[in-house]
Amino acid sequence: MLLTRKNNGSASQHGTSAVQHNRLSQGLSSVLGKTIDRRTFLKRSGMTAGAGIAAAQIPFSMMGEAKAADAAAGKTEVKRTICTHCSVGCAIDAVVQDGVWIRQEPVFDSPINLGAHCAKGASIREHGITHDSHRLKYPMKLEGGKWKRLSWDQAYTEISEKLLKIRKESGPDALFVVGSSKHNNEQAYLLRKWVSLWGSNNTDHQARICHSTTVAGVAQTWGYGAMTNSYNDEQNSKSLFFLGSNAAEAHPVSMLHTLHAKENGCKVIVADPRYTRTAAKADIYVRFRSGTDVPLIFGILHHIFKNGWEDKQYIHDRVYGMEDVKKEVMAKWTPDKVTEATGCSEAEIFNIAKTMAENRPGFIIWAMGQTQHNNANGIVRASNILQLALGNVGRSGGGCNIYRGHDNVQGATDVGPNPDTLPGYYPVTVPASWAHWSRVWNVDLAWLKKQFASEAMMAKPGMTVSRWIDGVLEKNELIDQESNLRAIVYWGHAPNSQSRGLEMVEAMKKLDLMIVVDPYPSASAAMFAMVRKDGAYLLPVATQLETEGSATASNRSLQWRQKVIDPLFESRTDHMIMYQLAEKFGFAKELIGQKGDGKPNIALVKGKGGMEPSMEDTLREINRGAWTIGYTGQSPERLQAHMRNMHQFDVKTLRAKGGKDAKTGYDLTGDYFGLPWPCYGNAALKHPGSPNLYDNSKHMMDGGGNFRALWGAERDGVNLLAEDGSHPKGAEITTGHPPFDHVLLKKLGWWDDLTEDEKKEAEGKTWANDLSGGIQRVAMKHGNHPFGNAKARAVVWNFPDGIPQHREPLYSPRPDMVEKYPTHDDVKNMWRLPTLFKSVQQKSVKEEMHKKYPLVLTSGRLVEYEGGGEETRSNPWLAELQQDNFVEINPKSAADRGIRNGEFVWVSTPSGAKLKVKAQVTERVGPDTCFIPFHFSGWWQGQDMLPYYPEGAAPIVRGEAVNTATTYGYDRVTMMQETKTTLCQVAKFQA
Amino acid sequence: MIRCSLLAASVLCIGGCMEVEQVSNAQKQAGQTVRRDTNPWSNEPLANGPKWSKGDRTSWEEQIKKRQLAQHEHRRIYE
Amino acid sequence: MARMKFLCDAERCIECNGCVTACKNENEVPWGVNRRRVVTINDGVIGAEKSISVACMHCSDAPCMAVCPVDCFYKTADGVVLHDKDLCIGCGYCFYACPFGAPQFPQAGAFGLRGKMDKCTFCAGGPEEDKSEAEFKKYGRNRLAEGKLPACAEMCSTKALLGGDGDVIADIYRERVARRGSKGAEAWGWGSAYGQPPKGAAPAAPAGGKS
Repeated sequence: MLLTRKNNGSASQHGTSAVQHNRLSQGLSSVLGKTIDRRTFLKRSGMTAGAGIAAAQIPFSMMGEAKAADAAAGKTEVKRTICTHCSVGCAIDAVVQDGVWIRQEPVFDSPINLGAHCAKGASIREHGITHDSHRLKYPMKLEGGKWKRLSWDQAYTEISEKLLKIRKESGPDALFVVGSSKHNNEQAYLLRKWVSLWGSNNTDHQARICHSTTVAGVAQTWGYGAMTNSYNDEQNSKSLFFLGSNAAEAHPVSMLHTLHAKENGCKVIVADPRYTRTAAKADIYVRFRSGTDVPLIFGILHHIFKNGWEDKQYIHDRVYGMEDVKKEVMAKWTPDKVTEATGCSEAEIFNIAKTMAENRPGFIIWAMGQTQHNNANGIVRASNILQLALGNVGRSGGGCNIYRGHDNVQGATDVGPNPDTLPGYYPVTVPASWAHWSRVWNVDLAWLKKQFASEAMMAKPGMTVSRWIDGVLEKNELIDQESNLRAIVYWGHAPNSQSRGLEMVEAMKKLDLMIVVDPYPSASAAMFAMVRKDGAYLLPVATQLETEGSATASNRSLQWRQKVIDPLFESRTDHMIMYQLAEKFGFAKELIGQKGDGKPNIALVKGKGGMEPSMEDTLREINRGAWTIGYTGQSPERLQAHMRNMHQFDVKTLRAKGGKDAKTGYDLTGDYFGLPWPCYGNAALKHPGSPNLYDNSKHMMDGGGNFRALWGAERDGVNLLAEDGSHPKGAEITTGHPPFDHVLLKKLGWWDDLTEDEKKEAEGKTWANDLSGGIQRVAMKHGNHPFGNAKARAVVWNFPDGIPQHREPLYSPRPDMVEKYPTHDDVKNMWRLPTLFKSVQQKSVKEEMHKKYPLVLTSGRLVEYEGGGEETRSNPWLAELQQDNFVEINPKSAADRGIRNGEFVWVSTPSGAKLKVKAQVTERVGPDTCFIPFHFSGWWQGQDMLPYYPEGAAPIVRGEAVNTATTYGYDRVTMMQETKTTLCQVAKFQA
Repeated sequence: MIRCSLLAASVLCIGGCMEVEQVSNAQKQAGQTVRRDTNPWSNEPLANGPKWSKGDRTSWEEQIKKRQLAQHEHRRIYE
Repeated sequence: MARMKFLCDAERCIECNGCVTACKNENEVPWGVNRRRVVTINDGVIGAEKSISVACMHCSDAPCMAVCPVDCFYKTADGVVLHDKDLCIGCGYCFYACPFGAPQFPQAGAFGLRGKMDKCTFCAGGPEEDKSEAEFKKYGRNRLAEGKLPACAEMCSTKALLGGDGDVIADIYRERVARRGSKGAEAWGWGSAYGQPPKGAAPAAPAGGKS
């Protein structure tokens, strides 16, 4: 089966011979099972001398560098960096000789990965190999249908002239900037600032289509929209419930902690429509129908309530609204209803419930399987509720381990380009947010206001990356801004990760201008050139291995990357490009800020291609402003000391028992690795970071906490604050309380704990905008949480569904269920755009889409590739392992259609698109489901798009993008796209 | 399922399986057990790598065995 | 005396292919040559799927060495099976003999000379001068000569693949198996590679350690 998965046994353009694969695996089976006798084996293996056809077609670049590999030959340096391929945060020691990256060594000292890597991490050195590189090498523009080389100056001049013209004609909101979760924290932060200085909120990044529903759902339940604990903390757990995560492929190194825990008796449960590599390691596996997560979770909760397994004291002390949820779950989600919706038997659901109840503390672990649904805000909150009922949140070994995707998607969400928030989740809708940040930036607020179309637009969340195409295509009178979008910047983001590819191409036809800033020009360039003769610019940018800065792993730890090598070819760093473009637009000074003494907030330092903002200073500016989420204590000095002393940190707790940094003398004692946010107060306070959120078994200054007070003191006469006796260890206020501000400090008689300087700053301020950090310091000195102490909300009354409801996908295979569990009504204006729900669902039912497209289509990851995949598909060491896109189809569904394993098929969907992929006939999926991985691009409905890529910059492996064919559907709260449940039909391939 | 048993070698034996030193025909003829290659411990350690005393097999092996424990996360976790 | 071995723990291997690319990276093995592979059996079959990483096991009684007509193989003092590409004639007998399908035969022009066999070296290079350019080009990196162990095992994502001294591997594996209550006590391929259990030892673990 592996063979089929890898290349379906047919050599593609770069084809490894299938023979090679066969030889090894059949050789293996002869060892394994003796099921193939020697004669059969030799016959089947097709052994011929010199097998490995085409092995030499890719010139193997690195031979020329063999000399450099001789370590005795010259001076080598070791640079410590962090893998850029997922959110686990694996450390890498890069061996560099004379500016060339020659070796890569495991970092056994890292408490996160202990030297371990998956296929992507173990091959990351390929980044540094310039021979036969598939990178974009110099600025280019599309002219007369051809990609033409430009100088940087010329590119800047033309781009800025065009953008300024658009701005003059249509206002600043005619531009949409798609930022990146691949940016480090400093770059992501600078980009949000950059867009603000341009005068718009039309910016977004991968988090929208990855975990926006998590961030919203989880933050609205208990305070912060992030993974509650760490990967490491799974070692302290007794049960791990993977619902919507295939960690073995998406976060392979996290499985080190998972399997270690399992070996110590922790129960591993996986519920997934597919039998994944993660499921193969589970104690309990349950297959259920895609998109029915709410019935599944509430089905489990039903058994928990029925058997009295809920943690009553915990609920009493720390949870609001559980009674209401209980009433609804007991009435609505009886086992028969759950079975009807999910397809799971009562026994299966009961078994999960019992296992979770008997094995506490435990985690629910999720990724895109929960979040990428048009009902995902409800799904993630149902998970939260289940964990609250079990008393699993706010303790070591239990919580919601929400695996983020990209290496810095957590950080980019925290401090980067979001349409509705400024860095630190300060909402754009609140004028105080702008006042706060303009003060931190040292930018004149009155000037800033004038940059925007109006103060109203300044306070209006922008469009989302999932919907920019509608910002271009939608009728002007229906959108909530003056002009349609006319220009787009794709700044480190793949277009094939967004749904409705067919319509994206329509939007590209209409754009005035598209700018792609990327190390790999990505599918954006090819898609654009497929339908246009001009109107696009490509700017080559450095990777994270070619610059320095901090990245926030999924567990909220920040790690500082050293620069491994200089930017390759003509590429420049993201922050340099931001600065140089800002110069053209006249806000370069504001971008780096100017203090009272005339010096910049952020110094300019020399880089390859010009001056660039200092990453260390940028982090210091973030430290100065991001009080809400405790990005204030992680100074560059502290982070760098952690990177040098990884061996001091305990693997199970992430805490340093002791130790001093030899270089600076910094005392590491008590710090948690990477100072996981919130790390409150300023660096001098030495808050150790918070390994597990809301954990009231620890003192605040030991990383303890409690649920956040964000929704007032009571609702309809019911107390929203924590009950008496529920507080962080050692707190002086032993009951629930509101957030700290200058008034509360004075009332408590703690005002005089502030220094005179702190008092000057803190007067009139809150814990979230007091730049001295004094309010936070004093609150924590007394053992209390700066953000107050409240209950988590089982009922989020400000969401359309206060208690999560099951709502069928817009394209459901079950019209009977649509009738019982319909979606929302259409919405006239959401994130500046009209958004359809019921009308799409009804149309689908009326047109009997479930009959024309009877299979559920879902999508997901492969271990070898990441995201849109252009980067990883350009790495030969990875590309060799997955050479063709494929659809997983059950043997029964395949047989019914006369489809054989390994042959091409057409997969069509209600969008009208059809995909040419290979059939992978497998029992991984049930007879009702198909799966296509989402990392491919470069084919368009059967055609190779190679002619549309700039020469030498097309990835080695190309294939159909599943999102060319995904259908309409968005989350009611966050505009998350639906990519996990739609419909399809599979047919034999005919040209 | 079947495979497990068929390819099994008991864990109890993994340390103590009998081993016979194998030499190639050419080696036998030349009366040597090892031919043509430098022993790893005969090398000078790298400036930024693991250390042993050059030429001393015991110190190289000690170092290798110690390093090998990096493949054993229990050591790091429970140490 | 240290004796180098590999062991892949099927209860831990998740087919992430980290070992495969670690090998490609460290030895700069060309496209189409796979010194190491991960194989998954019963793919998609609930409760029966297993993955295992396979390469040359550096057998005690190496069949390749026994059948080679030009005697190009040799065994190092620490038990690593290596070969001399200058002697190899690319006949493929070793491939027939190998129970693990380890020997690879690159196409002419890539990675050494025409038709020469290529395989895992336990990151121990070959007969050329240690750490020399010639050794690297023909055989890949010599990590043992740097006091390091094979890149695949050192970078394994779940520490499923163990590589190094056989006694230390056995100690690590025993502790793991004991912790998980003898689940997955089978050491895949060890019987074939390093000999059958000695007489009187406990019999092989029963089937269904995991099912």
